[in-house]
Amino acid sequence: MSEFCVSTKSLTKQFGNKLALNDLTLDIPHGGIHAIVGSNGAGKSTLFRLLLGVETPTSGICTLLGERSDNISANVRGKVGYVNEEHTLPGWMKVAAVKELQQSFYPDWNHDIYNKVIAYFDVDPKQKVSVLSRGERAGFNLSMALAQRPSLLILDEPTLGLDVVARQSFLEALMFTETEEEMTTIYCSHQMEEVERIAEQLIIMEKGRLINNSTPDDFCARVSCWVADWDAIKSKLGNKDVGIPGFLSRREIDGQQHILVVDQGDDFGDFLHGQGAKDIAQLPVNLERAINAFLTTNHNKPVAL
Amino acid sequence: MSKSSTIKIKIVTGDIRPIFKQIVDGIRLEIATGKLLPGCKLPSYRGLAMQLMINPNTVAKAYAELNSQGLVESRKGLGLFVSENQQTLSDDERIEKLTKAADIFINETVHLNYFDDEILTVIKHKLQKIK
Repeated sequence: MSEFCVSTKSLTKQFGNKLALNDLTLDIPHGGIHAIVGSNGAGKSTLFRLLLGVETPTSGICTLLGERSDNISANVRGKVGYVNEEHTLPGWMKVAAVKELQQSFYPDWNHDIYNKVIAYFDVDPKQKVSVLSRGERAGFNLSMALAQRPSLLILDEPTLGLDVVARQSFLEALMFTETEEEMTTIYCSHQMEEVERIAEQLIIMEKGRLINNSTPDDFCARVSCWVADWDAIKSKLGNKDVGIPGFLSRREIDGQQHILVVDQGDDFGDFLHGQGAKDIAQLPVNLERAINAFLTTNHNKPVAL
Repeated sequence: MSKSSTIKIKIVTGDIRPIFKQIVDGIRLEIATGKLLPGCKLPSYRGLAMQLMINPNTVAKAYAELNSQGLVESRKGLGLFVSENQQTLSDDERIEKLTKAADIFINETVHLNYFDDEILTVIKHKLQKIK
């Protein structure tokens, strides 16, 4: 088996004038839950389509479980589970029939896992798929995906639109169902609470580029918030905020400047001081704020780790 | 096999402390206040993860941290237990931790305008309570 579960090198995909993926180099090792966070249009879905070989890249290469995405064997294809937010299933079929159909495609299908996962959700095998709620469809999809015993499970915003109870069941089933083999999970979500609870690795994408690939804690530690009395910022730097090292965002609250920066040590305080700022204080930042700062900034994009 | 103790800690998302740190702090407080006694068995990774609805590997990371701090110890095949002998920090580490905690305390209380003696009385009383 290759070193990485997913690996891309200088992957680029262009649609018309738009770069959906821009020179993306990303390695995801085997095992664990990797969250991918990014604004809408950051290129997450394009990345999955390229990985699964549904689309071909404009340039660059990507591999999935050691095989090139443009030439995936049936064997590797069978080792990938995919659940997206739509939870699309044939509405006219009964649950049991859909399950049997799915099962026939996957030789490694495990009944025990299916039963354990579906038990989290109130799904009757005799029901028609069309009468299932969104949460039940999500649970049914997850049950089938896990029963396939995938080496790689891709979940693209699976809990979107689910109520609290269904969401909780979904996350519980995902995290606590015992599967014997090591599985790598890629989890796309906009829900920061979910990301904080389940992610071991945090991948951040913006405009088709990789911005971060580290543990959430390491990422959070990169971002710091500085508060200072610093009127000169406007006259000195205009509204562009150029020249501030590691700049992410700035807000003025009650006349105080709140500045979020990345990869700056305590000497950033000295920098502010040197620029004539007064009453300088450093505040801690939580994960959501750190992520948002990255996703909203349009300047001085930090280099990927 | 001995039953594991219930750990009454809470975690919150959106905090400035990562979840693993919240677990470490929470369990350390439980031990310091005598709610978890030396020799108590801790829940499994999975068990505590289910209770807190978080990734089991985050609990594993917190337990590893508690282990390296000497607060808990693993017994082969039996699980993780609160250490019998808690003092494993060096003198320098102890004084550093004490100073840090004192800074936070002073920061929280200096504006309340109590006399030093009054503050010390409250602290003494609290310390006696947990001993």
